[in-house]
Amino acid sequence: MMLIYRNMMHIAGSMAGVLRASIIITMISALVQGITFAMLYPLFKELIYPRGDGGRQLLILGSIFIILVLIDAALRFVIFRYDWESYIKAGYELRIKLGTQMRNIPLESLIAQKVGELNVVLSGHVDYVIIVLTGLYNIVLYTIIAPLITLLITFFIDWRLALALAVIFPFMIPIYRNIRAVAARGYHSSAAAHEDVTSNLIEYAQGLAVLRSTRQVGAQSVRLQASLDNLLEKQSAAQTLKTVPNLLISTLVQVGILVVTLLGLLWVVDGSLNVAIMLALFAIMVRYSETLAMFGQLATMFDIVEASLARIDDLLAIEPLPVKQPQARIERFEITFSDVDFEYAADGVSNEGGRVLHDISFTLPERSLTALVGPSGSGKTTITKLITRFADPQNGAVKIGGVDIHSLEQVELMQHISVVFQDVYLFDDSIRNNIRMARPTATDAEVEAAAEAANCHEFITRLPDGYNTTVGEIGGALSGGERQRISIARAILKDAPIVLLDEPTSALDTESEVAVQRAIDKLVADKTVVVIAHRLSTVVAADQILVLEDGRLVECGGHDDLLAVENGRYSAMWAAQQQARRWKV
Amino acid sequence: MEKKRLDSHKDLSLWEIIAPVKRQIYGAMAVSAISSLAWVVSLVLILPIGREVLSDAPDMGRLWQLWGLMLIAVVIAFVLRTLSFNFAHLGAFRLEKILRTQLTTHLAKVPLGYVISTGSGALKKVLMDDVLSLHTFVADTTPFIARAYTTPFVALILMFVVDWRMALLSLAVFPIGMVAMYFGTKDNATERIAYDAAKEQINRSIIEYVQGMQVIRTFDDGTTSFQRYHDALTEATKTEQNWAKKSQVGAYVSRTLFAALPTLAIITPIGIWGAQQGLIDIPTLIFFVFLAPTVAEAPVNIMWMNMPLNQSKAGVKRIGKLLDVPIQPEPARSTPPHDASVTFKDVSFTYSGRKDAALDGVSLRMEPGTVTALVGPSGAGKSTVAQLIPRFWDVNAGAVLVGDVDVREMSSDDLMKQVSFVFQNPYLLHDTVRENIRLGKPEATDAEVEAAAKAAQAHEFILNELPQGYDTLAGDRGTQLSGGQRQRITIARAILQNSPIVILDEATAFADPENEAKIHSGIANLTAGKTLIVVAHRLSTIQDAHQIVVLDKGRVAESGDHDTLVATDGIYARLWNKFTEAQGWGLRRTSKPSIVATGEVPQ
Repeated sequence: MMLIYRNMMHIAGSMAGVLRASIIITMISALVQGITFAMLYPLFKELIYPRGDGGRQLLILGSIFIILVLIDAALRFVIFRYDWESYIKAGYELRIKLGTQMRNIPLESLIAQKVGELNVVLSGHVDYVIIVLTGLYNIVLYTIIAPLITLLITFFIDWRLALALAVIFPFMIPIYRNIRAVAARGYHSSAAAHEDVTSNLIEYAQGLAVLRSTRQVGAQSVRLQASLDNLLEKQSAAQTLKTVPNLLISTLVQVGILVVTLLGLLWVVDGSLNVAIMLALFAIMVRYSETLAMFGQLATMFDIVEASLARIDDLLAIEPLPVKQPQARIERFEITFSDVDFEYAADGVSNEGGRVLHDISFTLPERSLTALVGPSGSGKTTITKLITRFADPQNGAVKIGGVDIHSLEQVELMQHISVVFQDVYLFDDSIRNNIRMARPTATDAEVEAAAEAANCHEFITRLPDGYNTTVGEIGGALSGGERQRISIARAILKDAPIVLLDEPTSALDTESEVAVQRAIDKLVADKTVVVIAHRLSTVVAADQILVLEDGRLVECGGHDDLLAVENGRYSAMWAAQQQARRWKV
Repeated sequence: MEKKRLDSHKDLSLWEIIAPVKRQIYGAMAVSAISSLAWVVSLVLILPIGREVLSDAPDMGRLWQLWGLMLIAVVIAFVLRTLSFNFAHLGAFRLEKILRTQLTTHLAKVPLGYVISTGSGALKKVLMDDVLSLHTFVADTTPFIARAYTTPFVALILMFVVDWRMALLSLAVFPIGMVAMYFGTKDNATERIAYDAAKEQINRSIIEYVQGMQVIRTFDDGTTSFQRYHDALTEATKTEQNWAKKSQVGAYVSRTLFAALPTLAIITPIGIWGAQQGLIDIPTLIFFVFLAPTVAEAPVNIMWMNMPLNQSKAGVKRIGKLLDVPIQPEPARSTPPHDASVTFKDVSFTYSGRKDAALDGVSLRMEPGTVTALVGPSGAGKSTVAQLIPRFWDVNAGAVLVGDVDVREMSSDDLMKQVSFVFQNPYLLHDTVRENIRLGKPEATDAEVEAAAKAAQAHEFILNELPQGYDTLAGDRGTQLSGGQRQRITIARAILQNSPIVILDEATAFADPENEAKIHSGIANLTAGKTLIVVAHRLSTIQDAHQIVVLDKGRVAESGDHDTLVATDGIYARLWNKFTEAQGWGLRRTSKPSIVATGEVPQ
């Protein structure tokens, strides 16, 4: 409870003050409600056994009652207001905070988070947490404080009744605990079953062509049906497990209250209790019984909220990569790896575990062209990632222009590097803005010049709104090659002295390939270039070819030098590819 | 009912979508209503109890009876309430399964092209998230609806029966409250649209921000995209605040008024006065103190129910839309194909939602056992031709014939037996490598599976490189396989399938250039003696094809063998020249580096 409170305050951000005020007012309002209901004791007493002062006493009590009700109404009015405003603002602030955090955490952790999960955190989990800010704490406070206050006052009215009532609550605690435990267990087992159904549904959608040809569809899809059955079974089992404790907690409270009224009846009959008090207690208990019976169901809500809070906290807790002081600036652009060892974080996405780079050392002179070649998983991509400080190597150092990239702000580092990926990501914005994002200050003329250099000016002007065409509008109408050329236009506009290319042409057909190749020629002129290459013919002219295998640098040199190596890895790859090229259907 | 639902899903309401489990849900609601009734009865008993206790000579026996009745009513009320929620939850879970089965069965009947172009991500959203979004409504809201209406309704009737003046008094907050509620909710319909749009916008910008983050961070520190995200959030927040502002006073007033205490504050003093005047007796007053709040709280309770209803609406709409995708008609009697030829007769086809035809009057003939290559610029219609053969889509005009039989005259079983394909994205189940291959022929023996793997050049790596050989788990959550390995497993599957017609998307064959040679010999084994149709991206591999069909803008521009086409100086000749240029391309040094490159190769 305290933990949730602390987390709530932490997450409420600038709304923490408002939230605290709202909680205090809620507590006061609950207190007033408790007193108001307790007012029924004297009211009923005065009503049934008037003192015969012409109703003066009754008038006073009645007025107090009404005043208390008005105070409570006013307080609740204020709380509603707080709630509404604070939840809108807190949700906004929390999303901004999470968004900011995503700019600062190491890229490795960012990738480890998985896009889908991050979406869930920023949209769903934030909403859940906001529910607490809006209403949940409110319900809890009313459910606990108001009955307690009334109970406390009951002690002064008739201690036997109060004691009898107080005995009911301890009974609730073990059942309440049981509900939470059962709910948590059910939640976990259904969550696992859910995940299983999700992946099976994705597999089903992806493999429908194959599944159809073997008639394993719909109800005949054995695997999918099995996972659906499993989910249904887990959900139902969890639900059934909850039934008994839920029943117990609600009926126990009710029956307990009725037993107390029975005691009251007996005491009334033996004359030791005022009838008015008994009836008032009855009325009060009827009001509270509903909310108390609901208490068990709140438990499940808390689990969801706790899980969401934890997930948000996890994301906020990731530390950005440290920047060594004093900060440096890059003046030259040769790239040096000295004795670099690297392994992915244990919980990294790739699950690759273990070391992916061993003792890598090389120097790439300014304005040279270097190719990274080797089988998949040999560490080519990791090397380019380390240049962008995706993560820090465990040993050794990566330097640009003699400066350890540890001492560079991310902005300073990235300002000097352009990356062209295999997969192009375009924002749902105009083509112009998609290119301009590489250099927000660029003029339209500069954007178009970059597009021209990247061989995409022509097809862009043929689009319905030219450069103002929104990517979303035409969606799939852009081919892979066209998207790739837009991303190269971005890189050309950025004009960074270091260019990293990750097999930019591997997924394209012949015609696009030529266009993209021409665009790349423009991009890499006079730059320090690192290219990951599968087709060796593209990198014959590289100044230096680094051959990687299992995270180790096994060969290095120019194309001709490497071909000259007897039984070399590179010559073997070259021979295999030359043979493959001669293959025909 | 069943028929009607299949006819028009567009107007599918929440109540219609729960039809498969309606008996369970209606049952849960009935139980919930009885529970409410029992609850009200237990409250009503206060009247005779009060009268008995306050009488001059209370009859203990009768008091016991009444108390016993009350106990029974209360226990019934709460047991039934828990049970009704339990029923509804179990029904909701069953509904999830039924809907998912219904949706996946439907997906198997719609054109495959629809499934592929929609993508597994979007389908997953409907099948998982949207189905799940019904849960709150079906499981929690339905019993609540029964309760929210039954309790105040029964209570109100009883109140009027006992004393109509006090009953009217109990409704005192309603005029002001209803007016406030009207002002609080009158803009709801329009504001909700704006709010939903804003919410949607928030989600879109979150997705865009998250997805683009990796890319964006390589440009700068994310300033530009953060600004977009920030702006979208600010805009949506404004809409939310705007709605809140418009409705807040009405909502606050109604929420404050429609609660227990304000009504109690009205009826208690007036009731006391009435009792003193002898207009009502004291038990009647107490009776009203018990029951009036249940009526006073009703409007707020009923208002709360709208929330899950609105939340589920979007999901219901998307589920309805998916169920609305027309299924591909199957012939009453299937005509089996005569041979392994493929013929296109004047085929025209336009993708739905597009204006330009993907194929426009295409006629082709592929003889049994020959190799046909489909060539042309992107967007020319190569993939469309390939996809029309296994009937991923139905043609708009003309006909596609397999073995001289229109594919629409064939059951999908017969057609699928005839055709196998190796398309993009080698698809692996989360299952063992063995089962993944066996998928091509579920009744195949282990020996047949291994023979297919050998022919696909996969046997060796499966045995030597995978931790548990054929029993290694593959798929996204299994052992990571390289693109080439995945490719060879799908080729083994196709070999096992042994269909006389094979369609091959060549781009996939080059996914993993390091294993090119092995994939090639696997493909050679797969296609030996078959009618082979290759969607060609690189021209070098298809020079020996029997027939090269050059497509351009959805029409057959040229066809013939390599030498003929190169000689005619048309589109193919142009593509061939480009191809040779691309093959010769290499990244060029533009200026000599100042120092010589050095790399340290550890010995």
